[in-house]
Amino acid sequence: MSPSYLASLRLAGRAATRVWLFVVLFALWWFWSSGSKSLYFPPLSQILKALWTQWVTGPARAELAASLEHLIVGYVIAAAVGIGIGALLWSARYVRVATSPYLYFLYVLPAPVLVPAAMTLFGIGFTMKVVLIAFAAVWPTLLNTLDGMHSVDQVKLDTARVLGVSPAGRVFRVVLPAAAPQIVAGLRNSLQVAIILMVVSEWEASTDGIGYYIVNAQQSFDYVGMWSGIIVLAIIGTVANLLFVGAENRVLHWHYGARAVEGTR
Amino acid sequence: MLRRYSLTYGLRLAVLAAALGLWQGLSVAGVIRSDEFPSMSQTASALSDLLTQSTLWSAVGQTLEGWGLGLVIGAAAALLVGTFIGVNGFAYRSAIGVIEFFKAIPVIAILPIGLVLWGATLTMKFALVAFAVFWPLVIQVRYGVRSLDPVVRDTTTVLQIKGARKFFMVILPSAAPFVATGLRVAAAVALVVDIITELIGGGSGIGERILLAENAGPSDYPQMYAYIVVAGVLGMVLAGAFAVAERYVLHWHESQRAAKAEGQDRGYSERQVLVIVA
Repeated sequence: MSPSYLASLRLAGRAATRVWLFVVLFALWWFWSSGSKSLYFPPLSQILKALWTQWVTGPARAELAASLEHLIVGYVIAAAVGIGIGALLWSARYVRVATSPYLYFLYVLPAPVLVPAAMTLFGIGFTMKVVLIAFAAVWPTLLNTLDGMHSVDQVKLDTARVLGVSPAGRVFRVVLPAAAPQIVAGLRNSLQVAIILMVVSEWEASTDGIGYYIVNAQQSFDYVGMWSGIIVLAIIGTVANLLFVGAENRVLHWHYGARAVEGTR
Repeated sequence: MLRRYSLTYGLRLAVLAAALGLWQGLSVAGVIRSDEFPSMSQTASALSDLLTQSTLWSAVGQTLEGWGLGLVIGAAAALLVGTFIGVNGFAYRSAIGVIEFFKAIPVIAILPIGLVLWGATLTMKFALVAFAVFWPLVIQVRYGVRSLDPVVRDTTTVLQIKGARKFFMVILPSAAPFVATGLRVAAAVALVVDIITELIGGGSGIGERILLAENAGPSDYPQMYAYIVVAGVLGMVLAGAFAVAERYVLHWHESQRAAKAEGQDRGYSERQVLVIVA
């Protein structure tokens, strides 16, 4: 046998190892639910059909669009504010020391408890959701930015200063790159928080969004619709994660390259 | 040293006093409408009333019940499965895709299934918490198991240490820092999920109390904010307890010694924030 034939065989084997469990789980679900008489667990074929007729070609597209709008606007605000305030706090030592316990309090506060309060303040519209998502998602990015900048090598900063790099140049060319891996870690954490808050806020009080669709379907005993909404959420989580990892690899490829050379981890 | 500490804590107290004063001032001046946002003094008195009532403490107990049971079940399962995929390469390559997939699903997507299966019960609460905790933790445990020093591994092989003895005396201590980190993160995740199951799943606990206070209208808003403060304090206490326990249990491990040597100037430790994302 030729080596290339063996190599492609090995590649196929590796791919098969990665997917067989998915296939088995899917098949189990399909066959186990195909004859299901249970109201709660409708056949998978029906769920997939609803996924197509509701979410791809049907009326639920509007809910999907509404949810994504809440998520994206809220998350972008959280990311920008988190990095901005984090950088400002890093540069203002006394403010940082004075406020850090309160920032930490807001960080560990389970953000969903704020949903009822946000409803009394902002109603149940677009503003409420975006404010809530942004408020909840800002802390992981903010604290990670602050902490990443805090751990910048002082020697590097001093070297840059001696070499005559301006303060703004030091921030953009020394501090930000050094803190980037941790900022990205914070952004990833913020994204997860944002997705959860997106659904919770739509669930609790809303007239649109995926959370609204699911709770509505559940309360009107449309369990096929409910399952289709669950699958949409799963897809959103997975796709958001993949997009994030893709962007991270692009932005931080120099970092991973350097780490691989150093042989750390 | 003493001066530095007193300056730090003085600054922090000043910030707290200023924030509370500003809150009260804005309420009194009418900038904040009292039917939308209660004043600081109203909230504080609602909080001090609640602290003497059994409703608050039973709500805290109910929240902790779902949190603790879910965390223990999820962590035990993650330890078992994580160790298994840590030592078995084929199992790891087969399962990692599925694990990553489930890890990416927002737990709240599973909530309706929990509700139709168990209703607004304790079972629903801890089942969802366990589900949420399991996926990130299993990956963390696997990393821990893989982090075994090759020299230690070879020594174990030569000394023919196998089975349960190998697991408890070699693998577990070596994986401990990873597991501890994962547990600390899991504890925070578990609290959020638990509160969600109360807030929108109708389970009993702090989340339910907050919703009830909101539904009762403006006269109960001070109570709502008091419960929010309680939820935040609970989050801090649990996070702090896990951090302290980690330092105490793992004092022998180099990662802890390094953290100690690094100095403790920061209000929250670098590791605490970092590991949330590990």
